[in-house]
Amino acid sequence: MRTSLNNIAQTEAYLLKRANPANSLLFEAKILLDRDLQTRVSQQQQVYTLVQQYGRKQVKAEIEAVHQQLFNQPEHLSFRQKIARLFK
Amino acid sequence: MDAVNLEEPVAERQQLFITLYQKVFPAVARYVSKCGGSFDEAKDVFQDALLSYYEKSRSADADIKSSEGAYIYGTARYLWIKRYKEAQQTTQLDDSATADLAMETTIPLSEDKLLHFLETAGKRCMELLRSFYYDQLPMTKVAQLFGFSGVRSATVQKYKCIEKVRESVKQKALTYEDFLE
Repeated sequence: MRTSLNNIAQTEAYLLKRANPANSLLFEAKILLDRDLQTRVSQQQQVYTLVQQYGRKQVKAEIEAVHQQLFNQPEHLSFRQKIARLFK
Repeated sequence: MDAVNLEEPVAERQQLFITLYQKVFPAVARYVSKCGGSFDEAKDVFQDALLSYYEKSRSADADIKSSEGAYIYGTARYLWIKRYKEAQQTTQLDDSATADLAMETTIPLSEDKLLHFLETAGKRCMELLRSFYYDQLPMTKVAQLFGFSGVRSATVQKYKCIEKVRESVKQKALTYEDFLE
């Protein structure tokens, strides 16, 4: 793997706490001494946050699609009626 | 990344959500209705509880799979009390209480714009990253779904994708700085 990708792998191990304590400590020291690394680490952290938000948004949409299916398709009529009776 | 086959996990999730909807939603709806809540409120808290269950059950150490119904029902009940019952009681005192709750799930505008950009321009990478980090599928499965020859090449692609998305994050930061100046 090229160096930049190896750096990403190292940063990942650190951020997702998969590095052993010694490596993690060493990496922390590197961050303190290197402003560029500091920036890259924080940007990579943002990537994981964005991926979480992306995944969550998609799953929410999938759940809503299932809701629409259950409350609109003819084969789920009895389920729908059962729920409707609760809110009369 | 040519032969992307994401129908399989999508179909699996759909089946899971249908099953859980049929199994647990009636109990949640009954509870909310009994407490004087509406269908929309029941739907709102149930869907968030289902999302929470999905996210929890992905992690390897999850022991909630055996009691999925209890987990979803309990979470939905808790959310309903928090969002609607307590909110109702505090509205007279403090209108901002409900506003705060609504804020929790809202993505900040600048991030939302970036997310929107990634959804269109970087969809393949986002799907790959999502499968691994959010859905927590094993790398062998990710490799198979995205048509990689093996775990090794899928892993390299994963890091390339992180690099690519990180570049977008960097660009966004720059634009934002320009904007402020």
